[in-house]
Amino acid sequence: MTRRLRLRAFAALHGVLLYAYPRGFRARFADDMQSVFESRLAWALDRGAAASWLFALVSFADLLWGGLVERLAPHPHLSHPRSSLMNWDALRNDVKFSLRLMRRAPLFTALAIAALALGIGATGAIFAVANGVLLRPLPYRDPGRLVMLWSNNTHLATAGADRNPVSPANFLDYKNLSHSFSDAQAMYSFVTNESYVDGGSTDIVTAATVTPGMFALLGRSAAIGRTMQDNEQHVVVLSHAFWKRRYGGDRSVVGRTVTGSGGARSQIIGVMPEDFVFPYKTMLGASGFTTAQATDIWLPLPWSNARLLNAAGGPVRSVHFFAGIARLKPGVTAADAQRDLSQVAAQLAQTYPQTNDGWGATVVPLAQQTVGAIRPALLILLAGVGVVLLIVCANVANLVLSRSLARQRELAVRAAIGASRAQLARQSLVESLSLAIVSGAASVFVFLVSLNALRALAPADTPRINEVGATPGVFGFMALLTLVTGIFVAVLPAVASAKSDPQGALKDGGRGSTTGRSGHRLRGVLVVGELALAVMLTAGAGLLLRSFVAVMNVNPGFAADRLLTLKMSAPPRAQSGLVPFYDELFARIESIPGVVSAGGTTRMPLSSTEVSTKLEIEGIPKAPAELPEVEMRRSIGRFFTAMGIPILQGRDFTAEDRIGAPLVAIVNETLARRLFPNGHAVGSRVRMGPARPDAPWMTIVGVIGDVHHTTLEQAPKPEFYISGRQGPPGSPMLAIRTSGDPGAMAETIQRELRAFDAAMPVYDVKTMDDVRSASVSQRRFLMTLVMLFGGLAVLLAAIGVYGVMALAVSERRAEVGVRVALGATATDILGLVLSQAAALGVIGTGLGLVGALSFAPLMSHQLFGVVPFDPVTFAAVPLILMAVALAATLGPARRAMRVDPTEMLRGG
Amino acid sequence: MPFRPVDALLPLTPIAFEILMALLDEDRHGYAVLQHVEERAGSALPLRTGTLYRALARLMDDALIEQVAGDATDPRRRYYRITALGRETAAAEARRLADQVAAARRHKLLSGSRR
Repeated sequence: MTRRLRLRAFAALHGVLLYAYPRGFRARFADDMQSVFESRLAWALDRGAAASWLFALVSFADLLWGGLVERLAPHPHLSHPRSSLMNWDALRNDVKFSLRLMRRAPLFTALAIAALALGIGATGAIFAVANGVLLRPLPYRDPGRLVMLWSNNTHLATAGADRNPVSPANFLDYKNLSHSFSDAQAMYSFVTNESYVDGGSTDIVTAATVTPGMFALLGRSAAIGRTMQDNEQHVVVLSHAFWKRRYGGDRSVVGRTVTGSGGARSQIIGVMPEDFVFPYKTMLGASGFTTAQATDIWLPLPWSNARLLNAAGGPVRSVHFFAGIARLKPGVTAADAQRDLSQVAAQLAQTYPQTNDGWGATVVPLAQQTVGAIRPALLILLAGVGVVLLIVCANVANLVLSRSLARQRELAVRAAIGASRAQLARQSLVESLSLAIVSGAASVFVFLVSLNALRALAPADTPRINEVGATPGVFGFMALLTLVTGIFVAVLPAVASAKSDPQGALKDGGRGSTTGRSGHRLRGVLVVGELALAVMLTAGAGLLLRSFVAVMNVNPGFAADRLLTLKMSAPPRAQSGLVPFYDELFARIESIPGVVSAGGTTRMPLSSTEVSTKLEIEGIPKAPAELPEVEMRRSIGRFFTAMGIPILQGRDFTAEDRIGAPLVAIVNETLARRLFPNGHAVGSRVRMGPARPDAPWMTIVGVIGDVHHTTLEQAPKPEFYISGRQGPPGSPMLAIRTSGDPGAMAETIQRELRAFDAAMPVYDVKTMDDVRSASVSQRRFLMTLVMLFGGLAVLLAAIGVYGVMALAVSERRAEVGVRVALGATATDILGLVLSQAAALGVIGTGLGLVGALSFAPLMSHQLFGVVPFDPVTFAAVPLILMAVALAATLGPARRAMRVDPTEMLRGG
Repeated sequence: MPFRPVDALLPLTPIAFEILMALLDEDRHGYAVLQHVEERAGSALPLRTGTLYRALARLMDDALIEQVAGDATDPRRRYYRITALGRETAAAEARRLADQVAAARRHKLLSGSRR
């Protein structure tokens, strides 16, 4: 956690805890105390994380203790001896007494400890995830000064257009014409699958291609060997994980030569440290990763690389495939850099209108780029688990309160023999704190189990999820939670027992049937609070559930069932003739029993990135910068058939659409509708632009249905397919439709492909159902957890209502007896009890509804297909909670209905 | 505030006495009082914020000190000033302690540790 954040968090908490003191005291000292705390905290922060946690914990404990003492026993006079409340001997006795009480009521104790341990442990686990993902610094030197540089494509109104990759020439100008950066480096805005041959075996690895100065910019050096030097080529740096996996951690691999894709030979120069992750998936462009997670190797991209140069030998300006990373100069903020770079971009747009008109620049702090997208979901989880913890606290406070009221006689006796109110309150406080501390210890177990479960269940593409762990900060946070929980659970009963009237309890003749009015009210308030919080949490869960259902009901535009997908690369022998090779390949696949049809493409929906191109339409001349941008793919074999994508107009590609024949294209519905509003897409001619005037045109021969490509939530974009026979891909993704379970066919198909060509790499074999499921994994994860929290909240609220009503009924037995004696029927009694519960329920759910409605808009970007004020959710949730509250009352109500008036009256 | 004979306020708690001494020479804000007391007393009198402010509250209630307006650097800060009664009380407490120490010397309690 960063220093500034911790300072602010602790300061805010201190501000809240100041309310422990009475109002008059706060009026005189609160501001001053806050100022002193912050000064001392700054001092403690300079001494490290552990020191600051320790300081904060001790200060908070002192604050709460002082506040309680001030409230209960303000000393009227200065010269009184040291506060007897701070007497260690008395405290030790209190602890002993508390432990004895715990042993005497094992069920109560076990329940309370289990509930608190669950609440604290689960909150700690979610906090650990939020801490690891959001708060811990990225694994680079001074990461707060690192920013990402993107181009802002103002021609596109789509999401993410402001984080468009940069062209090499623009990147160089961003770097050289700006004044904000001490250094800037670039990488491909995507990672690539490369073959990696060492000795006899070939691996397919995920490679990030970076300018050689990247490692120096990030401020990280190799664990073994070294990183790249300027203008170095034909070298490779390995990730720690890949090195372990491929070489079993053999340190002598540095210096070896390996063969990459296309036969290029590179020397291994270094292995990065284990904690070095770069790039995170979220640092890549919108068209970034495939499904791969971790980078296996880094390849150098020297500025002399031919891919970066245009025909004239200068850097390319019109093709955008760089992601820039820069380090801010001291004293320069990201906002300053943004202003600076916007000016540079405006200047470039004037100098190179052909390529740069409408292109701005975007500066994003690296941390925001990396985890900004997951942040809202994690904050929702944190809030959700926090609410569960609050409900747990309310429940346990209620239990403690009930018990302390039941023990009023004992307290009265102790008061009668000379214990002061403050001493009784202290005893009660010590009891609750002992309970909390035992729970805190038990919560470590819950925490570790939940953390492991979270890490296992979290979607694999959650950035930094592998860096989540049990750090000292997390344990500090849990210690703090334990303390605050203990105080919360303690303060209410302590205040109640200090206010209780000992003589009244004694006079009562030992029946213990009267409890203080304040005790009643307090329990009612706690249960109302529980119900309100449960409504809020359940409403959130309901909205997420309905969003999830809506997403799953989105028609992806293809038939996802009975579909197997895989990736492959054409083997060396195919280089002489890719088209006949694919003919042979698809014929072979379709001959496998159980395979219905097969085809390939360059971009598979829901599992791969996008690549776009500009399109010129014959007869509609436009300036290069004005040309429409569309997604571009290739189709080979019977791709549309295998995918189940319908052909709406015209025809599919055929064997006649071969090299030499007139060029053809197929477009999707969205493209046809947008670019050919008159419906004349089929037969029109287009070409990828900006093109030379004599470049050949392609005739659109068909219109296919729309497909949700990036995510199910995102609307289909205009898509444009060329025939794989006229431009065969080198590494296609295959779609294979099967007659039965595709997962069961995977083994057979892979075996057949190996038999077909053993040198052909085949990987990422997955059923489309799995692909689709993985594409919503983050949404599912969030929904599942919030629903789990919601369920817990409802259960806890039900227990709370039950507890209060059971107590209320047992206290009102005499009254009920009288009523029955006077002629009240069982139905009357039922009504009496239920109406009391209903009153709690109505107030609780009403408050909860107000709370939920005010918080729902904060969730809006997690919602899909429902509005934040979804009437179904907001009608159903209060009804459910009311029903639960009444159901929880049935048990106590039945007991009330069975009261025997004669017995009650005689006993009274 | 009703008049009270100084002796009725004695003995002062160690913290109250230290606070009064911290304010003898100049007005100080809360943090400065804290630092001064901790510096002088070292670890013998570890001072928590809550303890300090409860002591300040008592001293203010008994009119031994008063709160004065804050300064420009941090408007939240309050300064504390010792009152005439405060000085008188601190002096009385010091005399009382000195009496006790003198008695201790007479009983050779402090022999060999003259400071």
